[in-house]
Amino acid sequence: MIRKLIPLIALVVVQGALAQTPDAPPPWKQGISEEQTKSTLHPFAPVLTGVDAKDLPISSLKVPAGFKVEVWMEGVTNARSMIQSPQGTVYVSNRNGKNVYAIVEKDGKRVMKTVAKGLDTPNGIAMIDGTLYIAERGRIVKLENIESLLDNPPEPVQVVDGLDPTNGPGHFWKYMVAGPDKKLYFNIGSPQNITLPNYIQAAILRVDPKTGVIERIATGVRNSVGMAFHPVTKKLWFTEHARDWISDDLPNDELNVLNKVGENFGYPFCHQGDLPDPIYGKFGSCSEFTKPVLKLGAHVAPLGLRFYTGKMFPAEYKNNIFVARHGSWNRTSKQGYDVMRIVLDANGKVVKYEPFLTGFLTNDKGDPPMWGRPVDVQVIADGSMLVSDDHNGIIYRISYAK
Amino acid sequence: MESSTVLVTQNKVNMTFLKVKQNAMSLGLIAFLISSFSLSANAADIAAGKAKAEALCNACHGPNGNSQSPDIPALAGMPPLSISNTLYYYREGNRKNPIMTPIAAGLSNAEMKDVAAYYASQAREVTHTTKPENVEVGAKLAQQYNCTQCHGPNLLGLQHIPRVAGQNHDYLLTQLKGFKAMTRADMDGNMSSAVSAIKLEDLVLIGDYVAGLKSQ
Repeated sequence: MIRKLIPLIALVVVQGALAQTPDAPPPWKQGISEEQTKSTLHPFAPVLTGVDAKDLPISSLKVPAGFKVEVWMEGVTNARSMIQSPQGTVYVSNRNGKNVYAIVEKDGKRVMKTVAKGLDTPNGIAMIDGTLYIAERGRIVKLENIESLLDNPPEPVQVVDGLDPTNGPGHFWKYMVAGPDKKLYFNIGSPQNITLPNYIQAAILRVDPKTGVIERIATGVRNSVGMAFHPVTKKLWFTEHARDWISDDLPNDELNVLNKVGENFGYPFCHQGDLPDPIYGKFGSCSEFTKPVLKLGAHVAPLGLRFYTGKMFPAEYKNNIFVARHGSWNRTSKQGYDVMRIVLDANGKVVKYEPFLTGFLTNDKGDPPMWGRPVDVQVIADGSMLVSDDHNGIIYRISYAK
Repeated sequence: MESSTVLVTQNKVNMTFLKVKQNAMSLGLIAFLISSFSLSANAADIAAGKAKAEALCNACHGPNGNSQSPDIPALAGMPPLSISNTLYYYREGNRKNPIMTPIAAGLSNAEMKDVAAYYASQAREVTHTTKPENVEVGAKLAQQYNCTQCHGPNLLGLQHIPRVAGQNHDYLLTQLKGFKAMTRADMDGNMSSAVSAIKLEDLVLIGDYVAGLKSQ
């Protein structure tokens, strides 16, 4: 065992030294191979000031027969994660923006209020017993009794911090979901495209908001920005963004299930369950790690997912998974920019993986290739499903009628 | 998508690019032109942007955005999303500046888009001259340190990525040094890490080279 570890230890030492050399590339290009260095692929940015729905080809959005998609709310600049409170309020987070919004229905109209502003990357939101929790870059904060204070929200109060100790570039934005155990589940992403993470990085953690005690429950997860608990088994299902700069088609992004606390899903040694990493692969075997339940496509950027538990969609949609795919930048032919439907059998095995909401992608070779990018999905009280689009600051609603 | 407004500057970028010997990208660029034309509902009001800019911005940023002060950025010929996202960052607090913060505080999202569209439509008049000994090595460094990957082959910018070609020299160098010191805000740490690899003397060289770049 120690003999196998010696090269790994040496690699860590060498990697530490390498990080200081002037040849280190920026994080989005880190891990790139020689042939790829002339690539002009680059990340996209949202239109932070928002785009009006009237200036977008909304009618080109497609959903299956019987379903309808429409604009539910616009002007929700940088709309990211969504949750709905028992009172019906829809909360929406930001990532590049600094706010958290609450959308309420008042006299038949939808009104957007700002319940938190000036936060640092407040991407993750969850609600437990009337308290709204927000996962920022380095900490989780809370707004208690928020439903009665929407017009005069309290100052956020810190729950736990130290969640981004390096304060450097990397995957520092967080997704968060409340568990059936009333703990908050969230990710801390890898600090680079491909690297050995520290103890709390490339992981999923949970914190008890009452005590502030943090546990690390899954490792080897490069960056998860979407999590949901199965309504029946209560297991944690999560999406994962795999590394860049291997090729257009490898590795796939993943859909994973946590069966046991402490499970290791492979990063940085093994990707998509069966692809040893070009650099780290020799230090581990893919057979040691938990495989994904579904390969979601290469560089599709899967984000939020939900199990359908509403009463509006036809019966065959019960407990299906809907997953938002933000869409690729690290691929010469772009893909994603949609919401996919995943059907599971009685044993939780995937039997179908098919498009549900499409139309945002207009030209897979274009720069940019799309006019909108789904981020999160949220089934609301009437059984319809909301889809957020951070690129335009718009939330769409998908409904079904016989 | 960002280019719901089709702009003169974007077309200039694309026309310039098509001359570059990268065949695979040309097809993508042609497709991009087609897609951007088909989605060109005129979202921003350039006339309103011009009026706003003349009232609020040109005093510092110069006539039609060609700033005459070396430490105040020129805005003429900037991709519009780079301006509107930056104004958003100033208003929201992602980026802080004692002069820009209160100015941005008074701008609505629509006004930011209008001003951005106006400046994007203006022609940049480059006044800086690169030292002759820096021209060839500057071009090489800009490629080596990945500037051209995001800012475009002629550093004219695109989408949210600003035009740096021909930017005022002192402003440009201050930003580069700020990225290196990690005091200058950026999106997702991209610029801080891009510059962290570059030693100071190369940064100065790059600054001199880029500030003297004229558009085709």
